[in-house]
Parts: sequence; structure tokens; C-alpha cells
Amino acid sequence: MRPKQTNLLQGTLDLLILKTLSLGEMHGLGISRRIGQLTEGTFHVKPGSLFPALHRMEQSGWLTSCWGESEANRRAKYYRLSRAGQKQLEAETREWGRISLTIAQALQAT
Amino acid sequence: MPLLRYFSSCWRSLFQKSRLDEDLDEELQAFVELLVEEKIRQGASPAEARRSALIELGGVEQVKERVRDARLGAAMESILQDLRYAVRVLAKSPGFTSAAVLTLALGIGANTAIFSVVNAVLLRPLPYAEADRLVAPMGEKHSPAAHTVVSHPDFLDWRDQTQMLENVAAYTRSSMLLRLDDAEPELIYGANVSADLFPLLRIRPALGRAFTRDEDQPTSEPVILISHGVWQRRFNSDPNIIGRQLKRGGSGAGAIIVGVLPEGFRFPVQESRTDYLRPLAPALGEWAQRRGAYSLRVLARLKQGVTAQQAESEMRAIGQRLEQQYPDEGFRLGSRFVSLYEAVVGDVRASLLVLLGAVGLVLLIACANVANLLLARAAARHRELAIRAALGASRWRVARQLLTESLLLSLAGGGLGLLLSLWGLDLLVADSAFNLPRLKDVSPDTNVLAFTFGVSVLTGIIFGLAPALLAVRVDLYEALKEGGRGSTAGAARSRVRGLLVVSEVALSLVLLVGAGLLVKSFARLRGVNPGFDAQNVLTTGLSLSKVKYPEAEQRRELFAQLVERLRAVPGVESAAVVYPVPFSGTTTSNTFLIHGRPAPAPAEKPAANYRAISPDYFSVLRVGLMSGRAFTEQDRPTSPRVVIVNETLARRFFRGQDPLGQRISIERASGQSAVQDMSEIVGVVSDVRHAGLDEEAGAEVYVPFTQAPEGYMDVVVRTTAANPAGMSASLRDVIRTADREQYVPAIQTMTELIAESVAARRINALLTSLFAGVALLLASIGIFGVMAYTVAQRRHEIGVRMALGAQAGDVLRLVLGQGLRLVLLGVAVGLAASLALTRVLAGMLYGVTPTDPATFAVVALLLILVALAACYVPARRATKVDPLIALRYD
Repeated sequence: MRPKQTNLLQGTLDLLILKTLSLGEMHGLGISRRIGQLTEGTFHVKPGSLFPALHRMEQSGWLTSCWGESEANRRAKYYRLSRAGQKQLEAETREWGRISLTIAQALQAT
Repeated sequence: MPLLRYFSSCWRSLFQKSRLDEDLDEELQAFVELLVEEKIRQGASPAEARRSALIELGGVEQVKERVRDARLGAAMESILQDLRYAVRVLAKSPGFTSAAVLTLALGIGANTAIFSVVNAVLLRPLPYAEADRLVAPMGEKHSPAAHTVVSHPDFLDWRDQTQMLENVAAYTRSSMLLRLDDAEPELIYGANVSADLFPLLRIRPALGRAFTRDEDQPTSEPVILISHGVWQRRFNSDPNIIGRQLKRGGSGAGAIIVGVLPEGFRFPVQESRTDYLRPLAPALGEWAQRRGAYSLRVLARLKQGVTAQQAESEMRAIGQRLEQQYPDEGFRLGSRFVSLYEAVVGDVRASLLVLLGAVGLVLLIACANVANLLLARAAARHRELAIRAALGASRWRVARQLLTESLLLSLAGGGLGLLLSLWGLDLLVADSAFNLPRLKDVSPDTNVLAFTFGVSVLTGIIFGLAPALLAVRVDLYEALKEGGRGSTAGAARSRVRGLLVVSEVALSLVLLVGAGLLVKSFARLRGVNPGFDAQNVLTTGLSLSKVKYPEAEQRRELFAQLVERLRAVPGVESAAVVYPVPFSGTTTSNTFLIHGRPAPAPAEKPAANYRAISPDYFSVLRVGLMSGRAFTEQDRPTSPRVVIVNETLARRFFRGQDPLGQRISIERASGQSAVQDMSEIVGVVSDVRHAGLDEEAGAEVYVPFTQAPEGYMDVVVRTTAANPAGMSASLRDVIRTADREQYVPAIQTMTELIAESVAARRINALLTSLFAGVALLLASIGIFGVMAYTVAQRRHEIGVRMALGAQAGDVLRLVLGQGLRLVLLGVAVGLAASLALTRVLAGMLYGVTPTDPATFAVVALLLILVALAACYVPARRATKVDPLIALRYD
């Protein structure tokens, strides 16, 4: 366990996943690739972090999941934002803005 | 339903690892396939694509493990979150919280206490190995009196002839004085048992050994096993106790201690304590040889694979054989076997289950009350919930939150209730009237804890469900629009609230009717005239040492002297001796023959209870002499034998004849005197209920104690003092003057003896009334709460009515009418339920039918009055509404 790093990463990852899914339902690989695109390759989400995050968020009621068909007619598990997830995204976006602004100001202060 | 899904997902992540695993496996598999496809599209060869896809995934097991951790963490997190929030919300309204927790603690505590008793008495198996094969022979009717009694010779024949029983053992209860060198003598209780009891119950002594059949002969040297408790308490756990002589009080002969019983051993059919076991035959002495002396009870262990029916038919066959062999004895063994468990608890089961049912109803009422409180709160929290919903909390999340709050309340109530129950149990067990078999074993074991926990959770769900479900139905728009005064979700809520009032009234009515019936039958029973005047009479039992007074003449002399001395004590009006005294629990039944009539078959010989008395007995107890004379000093051992009979005997056996001057011979199995002697009936006295207030007097024969001297007599003394109990000390002194070494047990008043005989009924009536009282209180609080709330809600409307000219009386009628409608509906439902339910009380009632109309009517009326009183205060408040303020308000 590396609590500090995980917490920071977890918060960021959650926010990115919420953001990704706000555009529509998606399966695991799709989410991973979309985050890569959105962050222009800065974040490469590995399955070892992605799946725990998805399941944790599902458990918290932010996501719902169901089995479906991929574009190439393959079975895949799709995730979708719930109403609570939507609210969570809004709240976290605000919070993120506040924090990043504060930190940026703090870093520039000297 | 989301709520269910929540619980089931928690359940899954905690316990159903495998199904979740399969799903996860599949998900990861699908992920790999998609990845492979992607890589192939980018130009990799299939084999290469798969290899790099697996590398990208990393260890499958590692990923799965992390997912599982994450899920569990999230589940725990969200439960903790709910809990934290619930604690905060409840702490913010301490009034509501403490009212709810106390109500629940009362309900759950009462249930835990009664369940602890049920657990100890009914649920725990008997503490003997393979107890399912232990049985007791019974007569026809099932009651404690139906225990078969046999004589020692018959028991030995049975034991030797049986093929179906592994062991048969006979026993009698006994008590003795334990005299250790310089300590005060102590009366200890035990049993005289045949040697077969040890293999039968599979008892292995903690120290030493059990006694053998050789030591269980009439002439054997006396031996004894003492209990672990006596060994610890009186002998300081002396490891060298074996072989020591135990001096018995009174007699000089001591018994050799051969063993110490295992810790916690208790003789199955002796409730209170087993301080010792000693061999049966030596204790019986010469009675051991008499085939006519039926005084032994029997226990048996069925052989492996033998059914009770098989053993029963064998028992009947052996009984018939003995009857043919010894036709004069009119003998029969039992007619059926019941399990030992049944024999021990059969008589108390019904009343315990009734009590458990009663506390269950109390808890339901408590639930209804708390649900009411929650509903009222939910209305007040309408806005808070609506805002949470607006902020994105899903409905089920809100419902879950409310349910968490109610579970927290019920668990807090359960914890407090557990403490209350421990306290209540101490009170119950300390009350000697609550004398149940096995009650001494009562303790909060895992069964009880699991029960309390289960009941708490169930309670929380029961009272929390309605408010939670109603909250789920909250319509956001409606809620915000309505603002603080909310009333349409209000409509559903007030329907539920009405339903709660109706069920509270109905439930309390059932309880009140049950309590009313038990109280009424108790009152009926206490009102029964026992046939004598128990006021100002003291009694105690005296057992004379056979060593000190070996001759009948000596014993007679001592008792006669004692009566003289007692009579001389200031404050004593009259004194007598009798054996056995009424309400002592002892009965002695003997058959008799009527002179000049043909001898009937052995089984049809007339029988009567038999009582030895001194001349003044009837005047001490104020039993009326109907004809003839009482005994006098002139009825001596050498004078012609005389008896006095009661009215029932006279009526039953001398119909249309004058019983005076008739002669009967009583067949007695006791003492050294001749078994049959002709006696003349010299008097007839009125009937006395000796065995209990609820038992009609049987045929009764009184003989002068001078003509049948026993070593044991009860003393009865009528005092002139208003406080007979205050005389005990001087009586004790007088007895000690007659014989300095004489042990005098507790001196009791006759009224105490009578009260003891109905103690079980008293405690049943008392507990049920207590529970009914709590129910009534809770119900009236509930009704009050609902009506007060309704009035507060309708203030606006009432204001309008008053502005339009309604008088205070109209408003009062309006509110009371609304309350009354609910109450009457509840009463109707409750009456119907009571009609169906009170049948279970039938066996516990005396002189009252289970559907006694008077009780039903009185209870219904009482409940309506109390309910109206509970409505009245809010109704009065409604009349005080100032139209101006009410209309200006919001």
C-alpha cells in the first residue's frame, strides 16, 4: 500500500473515468483508450488500476454495468454513469478546479 | 428494487465470492479478446497480439485480487458513511432518539428476559447423555399428579423382567439435617435412588464412586454421595472426603461418603437443588418389603432401537402379571411413557409460551410507536430529504439511509434491552413464586444473544420499513413546492399512521383481555373458601428422632405435651397437631373397607385421604362439625378406635344412611400397627380443600393421632394476636423447651401456605398484567402522538372553521371523532383477534371461560376510555387555536 500516491491517483482516475463515461456508456478497454486520448497520452491506465476503480465506483453507486456487444460483435461489460455519478462528476469537477487553482497559486506564491 | 439490490450486492461481495469471481473472469477475458483484436488490427500476428495483450493485462489473479479489495472497501466505506451520518442525525435530536431507544429497550428487554427463561427451561436439552431415550411412566392423565408410583417389590420385579428398558430406577425425594461439628444444622435436600440411576443417567462421580446394588439393600450399611456444591461449601473441597462419616441430624447413625457428584448435576425431576443421593432400599427400611406401599417414582432408559410404544405394552403386560400374582394389592404400573423432557417441562410450557406471546405483542406495539415517531420526523425532515434527492442521492440511497438510522436505533435499544433483561431476570429468578424446573440454569448464552440481536434487527426493519418506503415515494417537485406544510405524501403517511393506531389498539386489547382473564381467574381462585379459617394460624413441621423416641408411646407423649405447652403461651387461642397439614403439598391416600358390605375388587376399593389429628384440630382451623362429636382426650390408644369423616365421604359412601355408628377399616401401609383395624365413625365434619384451592375436596378420614402415632407431625396454632407472624419466636422457644435438640423449620402462617399454593398463577397473572399495562401505556402514548400531530397539521383548517363560526365544542367533537373512529376500529379488530386467541389460555383459567363476556366488555371499555383521554389533550389544544394566528401562519 502506498497511501498518498494511491489517494491522489485514485481521485484523479475516478474523475477521469466519470468524465469519460459522461459522454456515453463504454467498456473497460474503451475507457482506458479514451482516457489516453483525452489526456493526450499522459495517462496510460493499466487494467490493474482500471478494474478496481470501476468496481469500487460501481459499488459506491456512481456507475452501473451490464453485458453487451462490442462494435465487432464481441461480448463486453459496459459501464454507464448513474444519476449519483453525474452529481459526483459535477461536485468533483468543481472541487478539482478549486484545488488545482489553489495549488497553482500556492506554487507561484514564492 | 434498488434497496434489495443494495443488500444483495453487499451480501455478494462479502460472501458469494465465487459468482462475482466468475463474472470478473469473464469481464477480464472479454477485455483480453478486445485487446487482441485491437493489436491484430494494428498489424500484429494473432500469437504475438495475444502475448502482448496478456503482458498488458498483468497477472490475472493480481487484478482480480485488487478488484475484490476495492469492492469490499467501497462497500464498507459506504456503510460507514451511512452509519456516521445516522449517528450525527440521531445525536442532533436527543429527545426523539432517547424516546425511541427507551421504548425499544423496554420491548426488546422484556422479550429477552422471557426468552432467556424459555431458553433455559424449554430449549436446552436435558443435561444427560443420550437424553432422548430417557422416559418416565405416567398414569392416564397428564399432570404432575399422574406420575406413576410403585412399591419397592414391584419395582424390583419390573427391573428384573424388562426386556425393553436398558435401565429402570426408582426414587423418592428426601431431605435431611446436615450436622457438622459446631455449625448450625442445615436442612439439605436430595433424593433416595436405586443404584440403577447412575448408569441410567450416565453419571460419573467427580470423586469416589457411585453406590452399587449391593449397597442398595434394606439392611446395607448407609452410604451417600454428596453434591459438588455441598462438598465445596461445607467441606472446603477436601480431597480426602471419601470414606468420611456424615452424621445426620437427630439420628446417631452416620452414612459413609463414597463419592462426590459431578459439578452442576441436578436430579431431573427435582427443581431446586440436589445436595445428595443415597441408596433407596436402606432409606425405605421395612417399607422396602411391602408390596402395598406405593410411594416410589420411576425413571427409565429405553434400549437402543426400542420405541416408547413397545416399552409401554411391555410395562402393561408386566403390570397385569403382577396384578394376577398379588391380587390383594390392586396394583398397576404406568399406562404410558412420556419423555423425561416432557415430564419435566410439560406442565409449564403452555404458560411460558403465553408469556412469550405476550411480550411479543408488547414489542410489536413498541415498533408501532417508534414507526409513528419516525413518520412524524420524516414529515419534518421532508425538506432535508428532498434536498438530498435534489443533490443526486438516489431514492434507494435515501431509503437506505433511513433504514440505517432505524437499525441503529433498534440495535441501541437491543443493547439497552439486554441490560434491562439481566436486571429483570434477577428479579424473576429471585421470586420463589416463579418456580420453574431448570430455571436455576438461566443465563444469557449465545442463544439468548443471537435472539436479542435477531429481534433487534427485525424490529429495526419492521418499524423502519414503512417510513423508508414512504420516503422513497417522495416526489421531488411536490416536496419542494409544498414546502414545510407538506400534505399529499402526507396523505399516504396519515393512512399509515391511522393503521398504526388501529393495530396498536388491537394488540393492546388482545393483551388486556388475556391479562384480564388471568387476573379474574386468580381472583376467583383466591375467593374460593378452603373450608377452614386460615387467619391467625401458624404452622410448622416437627420430625422426631427415631433414635431418641423409638417407641410410639414416647412420640405420642411428646406431641401431647407440646400441644399443652403451646396452648399455655400468652396470645395463643388454641393449638393442635395434624399430619399432613392442609396446603403442605403432602397427601396420604388409603383404601378402606366398610363393615358389613361385601369386599370389592382390589381396583374398586373405596379410597380416602387420611389425616391424623389431635382433639382441638377442628377448633383451631374452625372446621364445622356437622354431626356427632369431635375427638377428645378420652380417645386413647387403648380405647375403641374411632374416626371422623368429611361430608364428601359420607355423601359418597353412605347415601341415605346415617354414617354415625358405621364401622370402617382403614388399610394402612405405615407404622408398626396392624394393617387393618375396625373403627367407628363418631362424627362428620364439613369439607376442606386440602390439596389446593382449585381442587374439590375428596373423601377424607380423620383419626386421633393417639391411635396412629407418627414420627412426623405438623403443629397448628391459632393466635389471638393480630400479627401471628410475631409469635414465631415464642413458639420456637416452647418447642425447644420440650426438646432442646429439636430442629424447628421455618414457622409459616396458613395464609402464606395458601398464597404459595397459587403462587404460579399469581406470577402468571402478574406478569401478563405488567405486560398489558406496558402495552396500554405505549398505545396511549402512540395515540396521543398521532392525534397531537394531526391537530398540528390541521391547524390551518381548524382556524378556517373557527373563523367561519365553529365553536370550541364543534372542534372538540371533530378531533375526538377522528380519534374515536380509529380506536373503535382497533377495538373491533382486537375483539375478533382475542376471540380467536384466548383459547390458548383455557388450561390456565379457573372459573372463567376464555371468551368471558364481562372481561371482554370491561377491557374494551377501559381501552376506549384511555384512548379517548389520550385524544382529549390534543383535542383541547385544537380548541385553543386562534383563527387569526392560524391563518396568518405561512
